[in-house]
Amino acid sequence: MNKVIKRDQLVAALDSIAAKYQLIAPVQDESSVLFKPGVAGKDVVLDAVNSTVSPKGTFFPQWETMYTYNMAEADFAVKHPDQGPDRVLFGVRPCDIMAILHIDPVFIGEKFGDFYYEAKRNKTTIIGVSCPSVAHTCFCSTFGGSPTANKGADIMFYDLGDKFAVEVLTDKGKAVAELISKFLTDDAAAPAAVEAKAKELAAQCKPVDVTGVKEFLDGAFEHPYWVELSKKCLNCGVCTYVCPTCHCFDVVDEGYKSEGQRIRCWDSCMAKDFNLAAGGHNTRPSKLEKVRNRFMHKLKYHLDRYNLAGCIGCGRCSQKCPVNLDITQVISDVKAVK
Amino acid sequence: MCKCASENPMYAYPATITKIIEETPDVKTFQMVFDDPQVQENFGNQPGQVTMISLLGHGEITISITSSPTRKGMLEFSIKKVGRVTEIVHQLEVGMKVGIRGPYGNNFPFEDMKGKDLVIIGGGIGLAPVRSLIDYVLADENRADYGHVDIVYGARSKADLCFKYDLFDTWPQKKDTSVYVTIDRSEEGWDGKVAFVPAYLEELNPSPENKIAVTCGPPIMIKFVLQTLAKLGWKDEQIITTLEGRMKCCIGKCGRCNVGDKFICLDGPVFNLAQIKQMPEEF
Ligand SMILES: Cc1cc2nc3c(=O)[nH]c(=O)nc-3n(C[C@H](O)[C@H](O)[C@H](O)COP(=O)(O)OP(=O)(O)OC[C@H]3O[C@@H](n4cnc5c(N)ncnc54)[C@H](O)[C@@H]3O)c2cc1C
Ligand code: SF4
Ligand code: SF4
Ligand code: FES
Repeated sequence: MNKVIKRDQLVAALDSIAAKYQLIAPVQDESSVLFKPGVAGKDVVLDAVNSTVSPKGTFFPQWETMYTYNMAEADFAVKHPDQGPDRVLFGVRPCDIMAILHIDPVFIGEKFGDFYYEAKRNKTTIIGVSCPSVAHTCFCSTFGGSPTANKGADIMFYDLGDKFAVEVLTDKGKAVAELISKFLTDDAAAPAAVEAKAKELAAQCKPVDVTGVKEFLDGAFEHPYWVELSKKCLNCGVCTYVCPTCHCFDVVDEGYKSEGQRIRCWDSCMAKDFNLAAGGHNTRPSKLEKVRNRFMHKLKYHLDRYNLAGCIGCGRCSQKCPVNLDITQVISDVKAVK
Repeated sequence: MCKCASENPMYAYPATITKIIEETPDVKTFQMVFDDPQVQENFGNQPGQVTMISLLGHGEITISITSSPTRKGMLEFSIKKVGRVTEIVHQLEVGMKVGIRGPYGNNFPFEDMKGKDLVIIGGGIGLAPVRSLIDYVLADENRADYGHVDIVYGARSKADLCFKYDLFDTWPQKKDTSVYVTIDRSEEGWDGKVAFVPAYLEELNPSPENKIAVTCGPPIMIKFVLQTLAKLGWKDEQIITTLEGRMKCCIGKCGRCNVGDKFICLDGPVFNLAQIKQMPEEF
């Protein structure tokens, strides 16, 4: 952490990376900040605390072709699309890196791997950037995160205003760091500056205590609280769309005559027919079941299954919900109703 | 060819339909053989497991393997015509191809069943998944490992009975095997039992002593079968059933089939009643 890069050198440094890797980084897109592939250093924006949509799409795109087929050529000779070049995912906040670590076990491991996710995950080097400030919706500290955490990053940039302290954490990170070595200078004061910054930011995180919430939810499936809570939900699905740990997808065939493709795209447990089966049986037919499932997934099911929090406290869902259904409110409510 | 196919659990291997049996007006049994003999050989399905059957351009459907692994060289699927994709499957003919991926999910606990009597209770298409277990247990090489097998099966009408060749020919001829068939309403040309499955079961009154019950069928039938078994003194651990849910990936990723923290596609579809009672009632 004794190395630093001047902020005014960042664009040039990112361009050196972009010359060798596909650079995926947050850019301004109208009123949103979105992670986009193939961007140039000058387009990268780092002033938003959180991107509008999480960067999970780097590994699990909103929409991707699983394979294409052409039955006229040979039956079932499906073609898998190339999983793309080696890439550097730059500008990821600590909470979003934690989210990646928390959905890794869904896509990698248990009984089956995921061809698409794993390929892209392996091809990607992650450069985290600590948060410049803390938004009023941020509560990553609740789940053991912090605005300066480096867990899961290959390289970590610590935002110190006019410069970034740079920490190389893995071999993958080393290879990328070599590309920007000429921009790095020694700065013995950097570690102390990072530590001071870490303290300052951690103190600003919204204090939300989840102690006892999981234990309460263990016995709260039938609790009337869900009926009240779900009443105002519009089932718009924005909360799941922006969330870095939501991983539901749909599989759809798109074809014309003998040619076409099988795609998968983000789906949402908030969607109307998400659990509708043939014959009309729907296991989660109404708002009540859907809202309950979302919060149970975030605060209990994911934890039960993977021993990892299903929410990492990025605050996006609370920020975007049109009716102000706030997960931090749910956490404190649940502690009060028990 | 790239290794993508063998590395991608969501790739469905091509298979050819080798035989079609019309079970009922809306159920057909398809016998299928993988085009690659190696894939067929290594498939390794266990009784109770499911597959995804893929029709490019139309979609995928979750279907139980109804044949027992003791019958090698092919797989059988009994498919009820209920919607978009199953409709297309019903139009397929011998020689045509589909994609198959799997096998998925857990299996009936055939190891724990050793030395015990079995009572199999099925309704309608619900016999399809359990048929893999019945044929496994009744196979010559396994028969000595299991006790008496009772099969209680019902459908709405005579025409709606699946697997008539098994119910009336194959199974009754097997050693220590009793088959009880019933239909919901009396009709001409039927001199067999007329009763709903749960009522027939109660009449047969199987004692729970050293037995395991397996029940699959319409939710309403299962509900009353479970009540009946409880009344007859069966313990939750002795009763096995399967859960269904809408599925997309069948490999625990798409998040569609969860009941609480369980994914039916990975942790199920086979559960005993004690396990089900631990789960939120959302199936
Ligand atoms: C574990 C399991 C085992 C099954 N075994 C069998 C079997 O052996 N034989 C049989 O006939 N049917 C079986 N089913 C039900 C079968 O999967 C559905 O009937 C089938 O998917 C309906 O597809 P469709 O396109 O014709 O219906 P539509 O209603 O047109 O459905 C469109 C899409 O919805 C989904 N879908 C709809 N209903 C279901 C459902 N009940 N379960 C899962 N996904 C659904 C599918 O993705 C389908 O492509 C099983 C289901 C599960 C979950
Ligand atoms: S964003 Fe709010 S209103 Fe929309 S589905 Fe989520 S909780 Fe409901
Ligand atoms: S549930 Fe909300 S706060 Fe938690 S990770 Fe998802 S979007 Fe962020
Ligand atoms: S079907 Fe996708 S998680 Fe079970």
